[in-house]
Amino acid sequence: MSMATLSSSSASLLFSASSSNLFPLSHSSTSRLSFSSSLHSSTASLFSASSPTFLACPSSSSRLSATSNNDGGPVFSISASAAEKKKVLIVNTNSGGHAVIGFYFAKELLGSGHSVTILTVGEESSDKMKKPPFNRFSEIVSAGGSTVWGNPADVGSIVGGEVFDVVLDNNGKDLETVRPVIDWAKSSGAKQFLFISSAGIYKLTDEPPHVEGDTVKADAGHVGVEKYLEESFSNWASFRPQYMIGSGNNKDCEEWFFDRIVRDRPVPIPGSGLQLTNISHVRDLSSMLTLAVEKPEAARNSIFNCVSNRAVTLNGMAKLCAQAAGRPVNIVHYDPKAVGVDAKKAFPFRNTHFYAEPRAAQTKLGWSSTTNLPEDLKERFEEYVKIGRDKKTIQFELDDKILEALKVPVPV
Amino acid sequence: MARFVAVTPSQQNNQLSFSPLASSLSDFSGTKLHCSHIHFKRKQWQTKSASFYVSASSNKKILIMGGTRFIGVFLSRLLVKEGHQVTLFTRGKAPVTQQLPGESDSDYADFSSKILHLKGDRQDFEFVKSSLSAQGFDVVYDINGREAVEVEPILDALPNMEQFIYCSSAGVYLKSDLLPHAEVDAVDPKSRHKGKLETESLLQSRGVNWTSIRPVYIYGPLNYNPVEEWFFHRLKAGRPIPIPSSGLQITQLGHVKDLARAFVQVLGNDKASKAIFNISGEKYVTFDGLARACAKAGGFPEPELIHYNPKDYDFGKKKAFPFRDQHFFASTEKSKSVLGFENEFDLVEGLTDSYNLDFGRGTYRKEADFSTDDIILGKTLVSV
Repeated sequence: MSMATLSSSSASLLFSASSSNLFPLSHSSTSRLSFSSSLHSSTASLFSASSPTFLACPSSSSRLSATSNNDGGPVFSISASAAEKKKVLIVNTNSGGHAVIGFYFAKELLGSGHSVTILTVGEESSDKMKKPPFNRFSEIVSAGGSTVWGNPADVGSIVGGEVFDVVLDNNGKDLETVRPVIDWAKSSGAKQFLFISSAGIYKLTDEPPHVEGDTVKADAGHVGVEKYLEESFSNWASFRPQYMIGSGNNKDCEEWFFDRIVRDRPVPIPGSGLQLTNISHVRDLSSMLTLAVEKPEAARNSIFNCVSNRAVTLNGMAKLCAQAAGRPVNIVHYDPKAVGVDAKKAFPFRNTHFYAEPRAAQTKLGWSSTTNLPEDLKERFEEYVKIGRDKKTIQFELDDKILEALKVPVPV
Repeated sequence: MARFVAVTPSQQNNQLSFSPLASSLSDFSGTKLHCSHIHFKRKQWQTKSASFYVSASSNKKILIMGGTRFIGVFLSRLLVKEGHQVTLFTRGKAPVTQQLPGESDSDYADFSSKILHLKGDRQDFEFVKSSLSAQGFDVVYDINGREAVEVEPILDALPNMEQFIYCSSAGVYLKSDLLPHAEVDAVDPKSRHKGKLETESLLQSRGVNWTSIRPVYIYGPLNYNPVEEWFFHRLKAGRPIPIPSSGLQITQLGHVKDLARAFVQVLGNDKASKAIFNISGEKYVTFDGLARACAKAGGFPEPELIHYNPKDYDFGKKKAFPFRDQHFFASTEKSKSVLGFENEFDLVEGLTDSYNLDFGRGTYRKEADFSTDDIILGKTLVSV
């Protein structure tokens, strides 16, 4: 089903403040706040706002800080006390969708008072370093972090024999690449190893969402790494992300939709557009990782789906992007096979339901998502325009091929 | 007492492909029917130690509005077993109690000797108010209420009520591109279930200690809504299963016994005070996946699925498919973290329980009606 224009009611999808709504709602620009539902009379002063995810997680740490989450109002999360600062090494890929994770994680750790070194694969002088997030690494340095470059297989010598409490590998997709880092981390005495895996390793299921523990593809490279970690590291955690948005992203996500929407081009979506996916703001991934560092016992030997707590349909994503851009959207559906295009090349998301939920993080770490696509996409669109991408000349070869096959007219 | 019998007198003794293990429905907190050909996968978090055992709150005088059809049948048994005094308010059209399939004679005898009946029409508000006031109940479970006006006399009659527990519906949520529905999400004042919303508002405004439960699709033995039954009819008849559009639409089923347990879990529970909880299955399921799960549950071969465009047809007033043609599922994270709620049944286990205790024994609520199927099949031999 394609939508010629935006329905104005979609703006009230989440922030319904109409009087017909059940409870008075207030909302901030960063989260979906609502009434507080369940009240603990015994600890009312501290936990008066409902935060089911927080309440489930006892913690022995001390400092409380308030943030807002998607489950109903302000929540008090607990971060490490001043005494428990960690030395963290991030081994970071030099390209691709996951690159931005290390950038946010580094900054968040530094903001919490931890010490961070980020080792990026390759050379500092490489052309790849001219792209985000690498072209913003000065932000890590000015926050007190160290940035180094090299081959992860040589990690020990690159960091000059320095010892770290925590090592995150946000680079390797197979055991061959990650093993040297794991082995070095173990022998150098690191206490916790974190790995960025992928929710793409889950086997397709009739019963979404993918939850931690579900069957994964045995031959997936990431699975090999997870297995090795389980065998060899005393405190490990694996994080399985999906798609991300956020400033500093190395790979296009929402931009794909903006490119078409601002140029009044149809948005071709394969299949029905009902496929569900999970698009998180990268700050969700960073906060989950930080929580794992600060609660190593809670995170011990666990798998975490590193995603927000809401899925969005492909149609929905297109609509939300258009809403963020303040423009109409014309969604056109097609069958890739019938049209003769490779859906992987023509469209940036998987052509099936690809939907994981962050249940382990919520239960074990007391983590809450703060991704708010409608609001976050507005911010993304502002940056999209600010950098002038809306004026850029773009070729839409595959789009044109699809539209021609469907006989859909395109504005010149 | 009469056994629960099939609606249709004319049924054949078909070969039913299930292992007829006995299941005691009076204590179903740990009981499921196991079929040897089905593998139950236990996920690690499910083996956490028992969730929900409600501390034996003192013996309460409990009224259930309804209670003789589906949810209430299971809920009332749990409450009686816990030692509460339970009264069912019904018109008396259906027998107050019926022995459930798999329920032992002694369990049934015990239950039926203890359950009480208050005969009346809940639409007679004056009678509701006077009869409830005369009896003075501690807790009311409203399982069959649809409109706020129906609840007013109950609240008026029992000013000292400890708790009013309401069976609402996830149908109140406003349709959204962002899912699952969570309790904090926007609701749809125009929905078919707006009476439920208005009731929730009434409860909130009256200052009574209330709890509202929002189930999604409920299934299980004795289901009067042809959810699983719709698939079982077709599977049994060896017919292809017509599914609208892509079959990728995601829905969610919750077993009635798990729902009943959730209703007990909120009883006398401070954490449930003035709170709403979505209660449904742990996982969601696609339409196609549900057809396959029903086949597994009944020991049928993998079904042939036929997809069609519902816009190409006019079925008149008939429903060609038992679910809303859209994604529809709700997060149960709140019930898990606040109440410690855990489902006993996963989808295939639950459907198997339903099959073995109901359809598989030859009982069902609605006769098979394949007229819309035939319209679809007649037309789609050419397309899709």
